[in-house]
Amino acid sequence: MSGKVITVTSGKGGVGKTTVTANLATALAMRGRKVVTIDADIGLRNLDIVMGLENRIVYDLVDVVEGRCRLRQAMIKDKRHQELYLIPAAQTRDKSAVSPSDMVLVCNELRQEMDYIIIDSPAGIERGFRNAIAASDQILIVTNPEVSAVRDADRIIGLIEAEEKGPGRLIVNRVKPDMVSRGEMLSIEDIIDILAIQLIGVIPEDEHILIGSNQGQPVAMNGTNGASAGQAFRNIAGRLEGEEVPFMDIRAKSSFFSRLSNLFSN
Amino acid sequence: MEQAQSLNVKGIREGLLITTATDGSFDVMREQLQAELGQKGAFFQGSRVALQVGARPLSKAQLLQLQRLFIEHNLELWAILADDAATRIHARELDLAIRLAGSNTDLDGNTLYMEPAPTNGKVAHHNQPPATNHHVLLLKETLRSGRSLSHEGDIVIMGDVNAGAEVIAGGDVLVWGRLRGLVHAGALGDETAVICALDLNPTQLRIANQIAITPHEPGRTPHPEQATIKDGQIIAERWNR
Repeated sequence: MSGKVITVTSGKGGVGKTTVTANLATALAMRGRKVVTIDADIGLRNLDIVMGLENRIVYDLVDVVEGRCRLRQAMIKDKRHQELYLIPAAQTRDKSAVSPSDMVLVCNELRQEMDYIIIDSPAGIERGFRNAIAASDQILIVTNPEVSAVRDADRIIGLIEAEEKGPGRLIVNRVKPDMVSRGEMLSIEDIIDILAIQLIGVIPEDEHILIGSNQGQPVAMNGTNGASAGQAFRNIAGRLEGEEVPFMDIRAKSSFFSRLSNLFSN
Repeated sequence: MEQAQSLNVKGIREGLLITTATDGSFDVMREQLQAELGQKGAFFQGSRVALQVGARPLSKAQLLQLQRLFIEHNLELWAILADDAATRIHARELDLAIRLAGSNTDLDGNTLYMEPAPTNGKVAHHNQPPATNHHVLLLKETLRSGRSLSHEGDIVIMGDVNAGAEVIAGGDVLVWGRLRGLVHAGALGDETAVICALDLNPTQLRIANQIAITPHEPGRTPHPEQATIKDGQIIAERWNR
């Protein structure tokens, strides 16, 4: 058995890499998969907070790499799911504490017993990013519907292609349905047009995400009680497993007349 | 007598190969290099440079001076190709490579085999616009943000040039795709250079010493255009023939 290594990256900071990592891992664990997340953002760790595991950290990734503990000891078991684990980043070190070859070693060991290894990449294109993609089988690029985030995603895709880790698949996060339907936000079509890679998910802006992150409760667990972002993450998990899941309609519910005018403006 | 022959600069797979005069004092050589970099800085910018110094012995301090000179011009000196053994040792101490991969120079020196310069075979004349006999560089891929491409002749790109990418050519630039990044044609001073694209919507266009930006046109429909210098400024015209 050999697990799949998935890296979540973006170039730009603040677009939602950590949120996507936590929710995707949760959604896959809910499907009964064995999942471990790795926080590769050494020095600025966050994933533990979003997953609600901050107070359980004893050992971290750097301890594993430097031989202070066994890999298993650094894997923190999730509170809610049997087969979901987190390997946290060290907070008191920096990116140079880990090398790309360290990441390959760690991931190869994890592949033996896990179905998915999901790596949360730091922002930027330097060492931390190189570490995060070193062992990757599949790269997910997260972007927002804004020009600067798309520009950085384009740069990252170029770097991934140069490393022959491509092509990668795209997640568009924080899409505001009402702004999209008014044509005030970069549309998904615009973004795909520029980046020319395959889309794997669109996540609507949803205040439950922020609430969930602060409480350490990924929204992917939320039921069908209106948490559309949770459904979006579960859809991505399905697509990662090779299912054909149709994309949700992220446009706001519009009146007959605005739909008519959309029809004419196209 | 301190009059040295001029420098030879050529593009190689690893970036730029600059061959310096072997006669004349170090200071003259350095000044010559400085003048060259100052003049063509924008064209070379960001390149990795291998410096061929021939038989001229160089001290570590002199190599450091050269290294600094390149850094000042936003270039990276990565290799020193020297016939003199002591110079090679100094270069190695500075973590510089002393041979090009794939060249037939062994680590103990001997002259590096040099490809003849393209077509005209002589030292390039820098003050002239590039001759039309420069090779055309054909690239069949999309240039994403952060990619930089420079070539002394013409460039043809089959693919898009995305915003954040830059293309710098001594001659013309043709983009069979969408041009959304920065293109500099005639970068060595050729005002007759043209830029054309199936969709000409760049962040900035430069031809020779002229700079133009694209007017903001919401709802524009893509169409092929060609940009040239007319009456001292860059004009883009719709291609319909």
